[in-house]
This record gives sequence, structure tokens and C-alpha cells, in this order.
Amino acid sequence: MSAPANAIGLDVGTSRIVRAQQNGSDFEFESQLNAFVTIPYSKLTANVLSKEGVPHTIQGAEIVVHGNESEKFADLLNAETRRTMTCGVLDAKEPESLTQMRSILTSLLGEGKGRKLVFTVPAAPIGHEENSTYHEATLKQIFGDMGFAAKSINEGLAVVYGEMEATNFTGIGVSCGGGLCNVCLSYLAVPVISFSIAKAGDYIDTSAAQVTGERANRIRIAKEDAFHFNGFFADKTQQVISVYYDDMIRSLVAALKDAFATTRNMPKLNRPIPLVLSGGTAIPQGFRDRFEKILAEAQFPVPLSEIRMSANPLHTTAKGALVAALSD
Amino acid sequence: MSLQGNLGENSRLPVTPLLKALRYILSISKSAAWRRPDLLLNSAAIRDLRARQIADPVEKLRYLRQTSPRSTTRGPARKIHLANARQYLTACGLLLCLLTPSPIPSSTRDISAHERRLVGATTEAFPKVWAVEQARDYESYSNGLRIETGLRVSNRARRPFPIYVTGQAAGFGSSPTGIVFHTTESHLAPFEAEENTQLKRVARSVIDAVRKNQSYHYLIDRFGRVFRIVEEGDVAFHAGWSIWADGQGAYVNLNESFLGVAFEAQTEGGLDKIQPAQIHAAQVLTEMLRSRYRIPGANCVTHAQVSINEKTFRIGYHTDWAGNFPFRELGLPDNYALPVSSLAEFGFEYDSVFVRVMGNRLWPGIGAAEARLREHSTANGMPAAKWKAILQQRFRTIANQIINPSPAGQQANAFQGESNVSTR
Repeated sequence: MSAPANAIGLDVGTSRIVRAQQNGSDFEFESQLNAFVTIPYSKLTANVLSKEGVPHTIQGAEIVVHGNESEKFADLLNAETRRTMTCGVLDAKEPESLTQMRSILTSLLGEGKGRKLVFTVPAAPIGHEENSTYHEATLKQIFGDMGFAAKSINEGLAVVYGEMEATNFTGIGVSCGGGLCNVCLSYLAVPVISFSIAKAGDYIDTSAAQVTGERANRIRIAKEDAFHFNGFFADKTQQVISVYYDDMIRSLVAALKDAFATTRNMPKLNRPIPLVLSGGTAIPQGFRDRFEKILAEAQFPVPLSEIRMSANPLHTTAKGALVAALSD
Repeated sequence: MSLQGNLGENSRLPVTPLLKALRYILSISKSAAWRRPDLLLNSAAIRDLRARQIADPVEKLRYLRQTSPRSTTRGPARKIHLANARQYLTACGLLLCLLTPSPIPSSTRDISAHERRLVGATTEAFPKVWAVEQARDYESYSNGLRIETGLRVSNRARRPFPIYVTGQAAGFGSSPTGIVFHTTESHLAPFEAEENTQLKRVARSVIDAVRKNQSYHYLIDRFGRVFRIVEEGDVAFHAGWSIWADGQGAYVNLNESFLGVAFEAQTEGGLDKIQPAQIHAAQVLTEMLRSRYRIPGANCVTHAQVSINEKTFRIGYHTDWAGNFPFRELGLPDNYALPVSSLAEFGFEYDSVFVRVMGNRLWPGIGAAEARLREHSTANGMPAAKWKAILQQRFRTIANQIINPSPAGQQANAFQGESNVSTR
């Protein structure tokens, strides 16, 4: 492979940031939770955190713990983690958004030293057409400051690049993340249709939290630890999660059907194309089957050769971004 | 996870007559003597077949991206040398044979042309309007729109236009992405029955003037008649130096990227001088254009919102529809509330003259743009003035490229005309 080995693919998700890098003939992945939590400052706490290697910064009378450790601290302190992003883009209402994003990226990536980096950006969400240029430009600026030669890639397209080399990067990539579900139809590596919907993991968590009276953090942990689609739920939390999962899948399928049915100049695909599901929200057992069932009910207008889960749903997007970086 | 997985040396094509021919074409396409590799490599059939022979996913993606139709919009068009004509014709013939039963989209060029429009295009519900009848001198549409086409003129075809992100061309578009509304600023006779002859005479003289100057794509006269002036696929010289931006990026020189629709009207008169028939006509025309090109509502704006003075970095060089544009009546959101792109994206400013023209009432979009500017400057850790200077430098770079175009991007023609009939 002639491409530079130090290129980086980065999935900048609302929930997690995943880094993909090449090591010999393998891909290596590392991720950080895209979240932070603030705790009251004390010298003792700061010393303990430093000794334990917990990534943190001290801001006045507060210690900000970011990345993977933030969740543990939030659970410990019975507090909600705060996010740098919402609905797939930087959260303009979060005053710490940029500072913490920079901290998380620095701890995940280190110095750029001119390395090539391709990072994911969402397509315009249905119903939230606000300008995402700010998000992309700001991230590019941060990466530039860190010394990277950064370019962006559509998140759905990254799924296609990560999973569909067998079909010459032709097919539909779906990434179900924390803030958004991103969709991209690619034809021979060229994105033809891209969109996103603002119903994804966070929607399930917050909706279920409202119904059950639990914190969204706890719902997320319950969802990731134990939830699966099987029609029978031992407790109310699981049952509520299933209701909102169903709602999310139906919204995704409706948007897919609408996008593909109403698009003019759809390429004439004379052979069925694959659809690949990825992202943390698509992980629960039975998700693929549920999605396929609802898609079949909706009479999706494009013939599909298969609907499958990506080989590694949490890493597919970052892998696709890395493949794009290597091929650049 | 192994990257090599099913990797290995690129396998060679099996020797069959068909593939021999294909290999021949590809060998020509790779040769330095071949002057239009894009003609061959952009064929989806060829690209698909060839990509299938590449096992390494990275190499495969590199090949597909390098030969994607998008790349053809970036480079200068090169002439086919006569010396290569025979090779060219031979290859075309072989291609025809290969492509006859092709299981390939009708046109990859279509994919390229519409890619930008389709990205996110489904996020907004677009009106559905279709052509009912197309006669020699008029067209009628399902929403009641009638367009008089007998007086239309041609201009040069619309060229791919850059879409700027952080001051650099991040992609190219080719179909209209928005509408700019104008007023003709021409003489208005009293709208009375006894003035009918005079009203028709004035309307005709305005049409003659805008035809001569290829000023707009459409003109709506005071009776609400819609005239196609310049073909939609051609450039009309309606916007001059102008800027607008959407979720995809910023557009500079809206002559290439936006359609121009003019009301026979004067800014000074405000809505009082606009006839209800004109508003209705504009509503059905806008509906049809949005349906045809999937134009977002937020990209239907007035000339005053987009017009700039590139030398003084002031907005509102032209002030038609600086206020009172009937967005709601046209089925559009109140786009005066949208951040003014020239302020937010390129650090332009407004002056007291422009405020007066706006009726001493700032658009909400001015405040929104200033807030965005502040937000961006904070995000970039610098004072607003410094950030504004950076944005202005970005614009100067773009303007220089437009004024002194490289052979690859000659867009200067688009600036040869301005919009309004009368000079203010």
C-alpha cells in the first residue's frame, strides 16, 4: 500500500470520538467519550486524578474531567455528563463546548505534525437545517491548530467507504449514532443522496428518561448493557427503550423511503445494492431484523441485495474516514 | 482487523475479446498522448469494471475518486488533438459496444450535477409542480402558472460554480441553487384602467431593455404576466457582486448559481406599488422553480440581501427589496431573519445609508450575522475585528480569482453586467 501510514480517520460523533489508524496491515482504533463532567476543585482531588492518569483540566473552582472517565464520575456524583456536541454538531449553547472538544481531541490524537486527518461530519438533519458550516469549519480550525492537514467526509459516506469495497463503494450506508442517524447512498464512491434525522440514541435516552424518571445516563447504560429486541421485557425500562427504539427506526425508514422515492435523477441501479447498518445505536441484538421488518413493511423503492450489520459498528465510520485519508 | 483481508496483487483481466478491448481502451486512457482521459474514465461502466479488478480497498477508492465525474469540473477543458482522433474514435466505438447492455446509471454526469443539490435536499418538503402544456410561445403548469416564452433570449450556458467553505472552493454546483428577487426600478405609470395602453407600452419597453441586457431569467410585469427573459440553463446578469450562503457553503457571484426574478416595480414605492397579481404570479413561479430545482426556501432572497460593494466591503450596493419583500405571500420563510452571509462569512459591514433604505429598521438577519461573527471569533480565540479581517482577506482572495481567473476557472464573464434597468 503506497499511502502514508500515519494518516488518521476520525469519527466525530455526538456520543463518542473514534480514532482509526493504520498499524502495518491492521487498523487500530481508540475512542473517547465525547463528554465531560465538572467536579468541585480540591487539591486532594486534583492530585488523585493526576496520579491515576485521569484526563482533566482545572478551571477556577472546578475540575473538568473529560472523555471516558467522565461517565464514571457522573455516575458517582449522580450528575449528568455534559456534551460538546448536540444533534451531530457542536453545541452552541454549551459554553465549554470548544474548550472541552479541544481537550478531548488532544488527548486522543496528540500532535498533528502535518499528518493527514479525515474527520466525519453529518449531513443536514431533516427538520434542523441550520448551517453546519460552523461545526465543520471550527473542527477544521482546531485540527489545523493541532498541526493536522484535515479534511472532512460525510458520515454516511464513511460507512460506505468502510464497508462496501466489494461493491465498488456502491450502496447505502447508515450510521445510527448518539445525536443523528446519517444516511448516504453512494454510487461508485460518489455520494448521491445524503441526509440525517435527529432521532438517534440520545432521543431514545432522553425520551425514556422522561417516562421512567431515570437519568438519561442511566438509561444509556441500561440500553448498552442489556437491551435487545425480543418482544419480551423483564422490566419497564427495557420496555420503554424498545418503544422509542421502534419510533426511531420507523422515523429512519420513513425518511429513507421519502428520500429515495422523491429524489429526481436517482441513478438507474440495475442491480440490487447493499445496505449496511453501523453505529452504537444499531448494536443491540435484533436491531437489524427489526429494521428489515419495518423497511419491508414500508415497501422501500430501491431493491436491496442485503441488509447487514457492519463488521464492527462502533468503528466502521472511523475506518471509512481512514480509508478516505489513505486514498487521498 | 486486517486491512489486507482479501488483498493481493491486482489480478489481471481474463483474456477474452471483450476484455481485450477494454484493456486496450484503458491503455489508451492511461497514455500521455490521450488528451481527454475523463471521457473514458468517467464512464461508469468502465470505472465499475476496472475497479472490480483492484483488490486493495484503498487503491480501489483512490481510483474511483480520481476518476469520479466530479473531477471533470475542476480542470481546464482540453482540446482533443487531431493526431489522436483515430484513437479517440476507435475507443468511442469500442465503448459503445461495451456500453450497449450497460447495467449502469443513465448518466454519471447527472450524479455529479445533482450531488450537491441532493445532499440534504430531502430535508425540506418541496412543492410538486409539473408542466401541463408547452406551446411555442407559452408554458403552463399544474399550479396555474403561465409563462410567456415568446420573448426569451439565450446567453452563455451556466458554468459549474464553486461553493466556498472557509474561503476555499470545497465543491462545485451546476444547477440553480437559489432565487434572487429584484425590482426593475423602471418608470411606473398609474395603475388605472385608462392608463392601460401606457402600462402595456412601459412593460414592453422594460422587457426590451432586460432582453437586451440579459438581465433576469424572469420578469413579472404589473399585470402579473410572467415572461421568460433568459433561458434557465443560461446565465443572466442579475446579481453582480453578490454573496449568499447555506448549509453547503458560500456562493460568490450569484449570476452562476441563482436564478434572477424581477418585479416591474420600484423599491421606493414599497408594497403599495406592487399589484396583487404580481405577488400571485411570483408565488406560483417560485413554487415551480423550487419544485424543478429543489431550491431551499432559505435560498430565495432579495437583491439587497446579497448585493455587495467589493471595494468598500459594504453590503447593499443594490438595494432592491431592502425591505417589505412579501416572503410569506410567496410561501417562503421570513428570510430577512437569516444571517446576512456577506457579514457573517466574509466580514462585510453596513452603513447608515443602507439602514435608511431598510426603513431605519434593521433586519433580524443583520443581528444574527453579527452574533455569528462574534461566536466564530470567540471560537477561534481572537477579537472580532481580527476575525473580520481574516474573513475579508478570504473574500479578497476569491475576488482576485474571479477578476484574474486562471484558465481553469474563467468566471469573469458573469460579472460583465449588473441587474437593474435604471442605474442608481
